[in-house]
Amino acid sequence: MMRRVANLAVFLIAILLCYGMQTTKPHYADLTGPIPAYGAISNTVHTRTFDIGVDKVVFARTLKFDQFGKQKLLTTGGVWAIVTANLAATKDSAMVAAATWRGPDGLSYRASERASLATGGLPMALDPGVPAKTRMVFEILPSQADEAMLLVSGKLFAPLDSEARIALGPVALQADGMPEGTVETYELGKTF
Amino acid sequence: MFGGVGSKLKAWILGGIGTFAALAVGGALGAFDTLEKPVVVLGPGQPIETGPWKVKPLRAYTVDKGIYGLPLKAGEKAIVFEAEMTNRTALSSKNYFTTFQPGGTEDKPFVVLVRDATMSPALQPGLPERMAYVWAVPTGAVPPERFVVAVNGKIHKQRDNLYGVPGWYNEHLIGTVAMTVGVGPDTPDAKP
Repeated sequence: MMRRVANLAVFLIAILLCYGMQTTKPHYADLTGPIPAYGAISNTVHTRTFDIGVDKVVFARTLKFDQFGKQKLLTTGGVWAIVTANLAATKDSAMVAAATWRGPDGLSYRASERASLATGGLPMALDPGVPAKTRMVFEILPSQADEAMLLVSGKLFAPLDSEARIALGPVALQADGMPEGTVETYELGKTF
Repeated sequence: MFGGVGSKLKAWILGGIGTFAALAVGGALGAFDTLEKPVVVLGPGQPIETGPWKVKPLRAYTVDKGIYGLPLKAGEKAIVFEAEMTNRTALSSKNYFTTFQPGGTEDKPFVVLVRDATMSPALQPGLPERMAYVWAVPTGAVPPERFVVAVNGKIHKQRDNLYGVPGWYNEHLIGTVAMTVGVGPDTPDAKP
């Protein structure tokens, strides 16, 4: 009798152990995900292939730029977030190709393709010793402006490669629901 | 129960019962799966949740001139179908090419953002956009008077079976929407 109870107990413990190991095992997608390099808006973040320092963040209701010699006005149902950043290659020529704006609710906004032809957009080729500047444009919900995280990586899918994650800090909302300091029109000019 | 028979025969009988039970269950599940389910008829102008998208079919019309930046040769016609689409996922996505499938064609549509005629941009989480799906009508064919379109949905899997990554899979029919085909881009939106 005692032996039976002991057998049953061992069996149950084995089941629990297996279940625990199954549920706590990191999954393939987590194991092969990008390796984050954290930083804040005021400092330079070092990744494996490039360094990045966010210069400033501007919010705008509309964007204006020249496309194929014609002036284009881009409207949005949300708000445009324009991030300018300084880039440098670490020791080899490198590409910077993907940028994502991650809001406080975890909503991820890839850099907008609607403004991808403007000067300074990604992808950008970097060479060591040559400083470069990029201007990333995101179309976001106004509620995702506060305490956002900027994710920048060398490739769109960068498994097992480092990814810069830059905390962009608090942004207050105005009475009309737009982020503090939203400008009416931002011009995506040739220089920035 | 089988006290009088040999242990070998007992094993054979038990194995046989198990096999037949498995076959019966499999057959019944298959039969239920192939049962014709009645197609759900959805109303135009009403929001429909497809999984990754919230869509609102608005209007369908034919054009004989280019529209939203898409060129059309003289004598050619195209059917334009417009819907309001909201990305319900947490990531910018252009996973909308197979959301609407009209009867009688296997062609892939051109998808255009109505706001500024951008070709198939990724739509941002939580920002509703009006999109136009454009199918060319074969030369000589008469466009239909009623446009019947199947609305397809997908389900979210935390891990797919091949790569173990989260995503939207298993496209399935949600229902069909039928709307009258107007003439020209002045066709009014369908009211629910």
